[in-house]
Amino acid sequence: MGETILTMQGIQKYFSGVHALKGVNFDLRAGEVHALMGENGAGKSTLIKVLCGIHKKDGGSITYFGEDVQFGNIAESQAAGISVIHQELNMMNHLTVAQNMFIGREFKRGVLIDDRKMEEEAQKLFDRIGVRIDPGVKLGELTVGKQQMVEIAKAVSRDCKLLVLDEPTAALTQPEVEELFKIMNDLRDKGIGMIYISHRMDEINRISDRVTVMRDGEYVGTVNTAEVTKDDIVKMMVGRVIMGEQKQKSAVAEDAPVVLEVKHLNAGREVRDVSFHLRRGEILGFAGLMGAGRTEVVRALYGADPKQSGEIWLSGKKVKIKTPAQAVEHGICYLSEDRKRYGLMLMKSVTENTVIASVDDFISAGLINDSKMKEASAEFNEKLRTKTPSMEQLLKNLSGGNQQKVIVARWLMKNSDIFIFDEPTRGIDVGAKSEIYRLMEDLAAQGKSVIMISSELAEILRMSDRILVMCEGRKTGELDISEATQENIMQLATMREEN
Amino acid sequence: MSNKKSPLLNVKGVLAGGKQNMVIILAAVALFFVFYLINPSFASDLNLNNMAKSFVPYAILALGVTFVIATGGIDLSIGTVCIGSAVLAGAICRTGVALEDGILWLTIPIIVLTGTVFGLINGLLVAKCKLAPFIATLGTMLVSRGLTSVVAEAVRETSSAVKYPTVGWFQDIFVKYNGFPVGLLWVLALTVICMVVMYKTKIGRYILAIGSNEEAARLSGIDTDKYKIIAYVIGGTFAGLAALFYTAANPSLTIAGGNGMELDAIAGVYIGGTSTTGGAASIMGTILGSLILVIIRNGLNLALSGGSIVSATNITYAVTGVIVVGAVMLDILKKKNAAKVKIPPTAEKKAEASKS
Repeated sequence: MGETILTMQGIQKYFSGVHALKGVNFDLRAGEVHALMGENGAGKSTLIKVLCGIHKKDGGSITYFGEDVQFGNIAESQAAGISVIHQELNMMNHLTVAQNMFIGREFKRGVLIDDRKMEEEAQKLFDRIGVRIDPGVKLGELTVGKQQMVEIAKAVSRDCKLLVLDEPTAALTQPEVEELFKIMNDLRDKGIGMIYISHRMDEINRISDRVTVMRDGEYVGTVNTAEVTKDDIVKMMVGRVIMGEQKQKSAVAEDAPVVLEVKHLNAGREVRDVSFHLRRGEILGFAGLMGAGRTEVVRALYGADPKQSGEIWLSGKKVKIKTPAQAVEHGICYLSEDRKRYGLMLMKSVTENTVIASVDDFISAGLINDSKMKEASAEFNEKLRTKTPSMEQLLKNLSGGNQQKVIVARWLMKNSDIFIFDEPTRGIDVGAKSEIYRLMEDLAAQGKSVIMISSELAEILRMSDRILVMCEGRKTGELDISEATQENIMQLATMREEN
Repeated sequence: MSNKKSPLLNVKGVLAGGKQNMVIILAAVALFFVFYLINPSFASDLNLNNMAKSFVPYAILALGVTFVIATGGIDLSIGTVCIGSAVLAGAICRTGVALEDGILWLTIPIIVLTGTVFGLINGLLVAKCKLAPFIATLGTMLVSRGLTSVVAEAVRETSSAVKYPTVGWFQDIFVKYNGFPVGLLWVLALTVICMVVMYKTKIGRYILAIGSNEEAARLSGIDTDKYKIIAYVIGGTFAGLAALFYTAANPSLTIAGGNGMELDAIAGVYIGGTSTTGGAASIMGTILGSLILVIIRNGLNLALSGGSIVSATNITYAVTGVIVVGAVMLDILKKKNAAKVKIPPTAEKKAEASKS
């Protein structure tokens, strides 16, 4: 391993009141693979964005090849030799591989673009790093894995000295992962420093030299991969300090009836043979890493996305749910993680957003009774203590927490029995969080049943009576709250299928 | 809520567009006087009747397509569907050929139903086949133009130009009864119906919800496909209704007469303040928007008639274009202002302040 090429010291970052990075340290040597780990929201991406100039740091220092730097944008960091390979590739599928690689710096002969020269240069580069791709084919014809290699080759062609790989293996097959690792080893021999972000513990063990762990925007520590076990890293990631109020035991009565049973649900690419049940008055937590397929399970259950197979039973009766309308008729409601896209009509009033699922109840002789709607909306929103100047207020002017309450009011008005919350506190400030928690507890106490998807382990442990853990579209375990710990949830959440 | 006195005018949709409606009314009055000063015959009985005649079909087209635009869609086929249905019905019923007005009554259901059918096709293409509304209705625009005239040619075994009777009960009902422009009464009645449907029924409420956020509406349990189809069916049916009034006023029909009609109707909707992205619709605005376009069209025509070297029609196009762009820019500005959210001073800035 070579000299230290990058040192980030005490990096601070605030986002309108949120302390996103709290003094993070990170360093990288030439010819090293340094893994960056942490739960969703730990601040890994923010750190990378600060490094490559998308965000400005609010404190700390960045030293790159012995110089104090602060890149103003991606172009500057790229010119300095820093390249980021994103999980989602941003490339032009209709152009050829070579055209993609040299986009913005095409070889020319006079005013015309010299495609042949570009293909030759691309081929030379591929030979150098040992990639077997025809530079003349359209990029869209390649697999995601190959496309990623094109992107890596592109970085190398820009004389890259520091390569960031953000969850590069998320969409790759096992042979593709092997090929990627081979290339990474080659690049390591060439003296390129690499920052490797991944959730996959076994890959970290194989490919990385050191691991830095972050948690809640804080720097936890850096260790040599060879000297630690997988468990050590998990412990660093979840931390030993557990949020004070973990639920001790399930609040559900022993004999509470099963209201919902899902059997062998398969949907899309993300949901594979998932079965579970939900009891009256229960809060069932769905834990897992991002992309584990939790949202896809509930969307398929709700009829928002098509199912391939599987049965849904409600209170002992088999039902067919093909559209959200049918789910709503059966007393199921879904509160999406992305409220703005899937929940709210931002340019409509509190009243209109509240009543939209119950319009039928306010019609007499074919006409809508607006004043009755307004009264009912006021009644339900007062019950939930939605803070709004009036029922006429447009929803975009409400805070995240109050928007969430309006959606809960919508479904209470519809008298739903099964509430599916998808990341209910995402984008909601800390004060309002506890109100949303109380709301879910109240629902359960009233005999409603709740499914709560959350990527925050502390939230899962605080709210759930029972926890279902998913990894890569499969249910990898189910834990009663009395036996659940951050560690065993994390173990299940990273339990990948053997290939 | 004190909606006892006038339930319709108290509805939010009307109030929301209130300011823009006032602007349009003032502009219409001002234009009226300007055109009157340029050419006093603008305010003559004859010309006012002409304006009413040309206003009615455009206003009805615009009313119908307001429902489509409220879903966030567009219907480019209404112009050719309108004229196409009249050509088709005229050919089938042989109006003006052998029977004179013998089975003229039969044209009414054929015209309206043809409009409804094309609306249904548009709705199915958009809602079920997930085609972009622009493409789907561009397709039906061409199909309706081609198909109706082909059928008309085949039936008549000559050209597809169709003649309707120039005087008679058809005119009495749709254009002028004892000198009174009855078409305006029809427009009034249809406007009231549209307001009720848009603001006071489930159909309108759901159409506006779809325009606001289709996915949120679907996840709220609304059968969004069904209500989108209904919107296009309303658009198509109103195209058929508009054809009745157009035909009664212009009895000699060729299919080409429908070219561009849809754009004038849609322009009226946009000028009236219905959001181009859907979710908010103003029925009153649509009527006023159509009215101002008629005043401009007719006024320019008169002002430039008699020895002018520029063509009134072409000037009208240019002016209409400028107004539409202006109205839509206004819509964008409104939204931009509405989207401005006050951000409290960030911790970032606080941190900076404490440093210094």
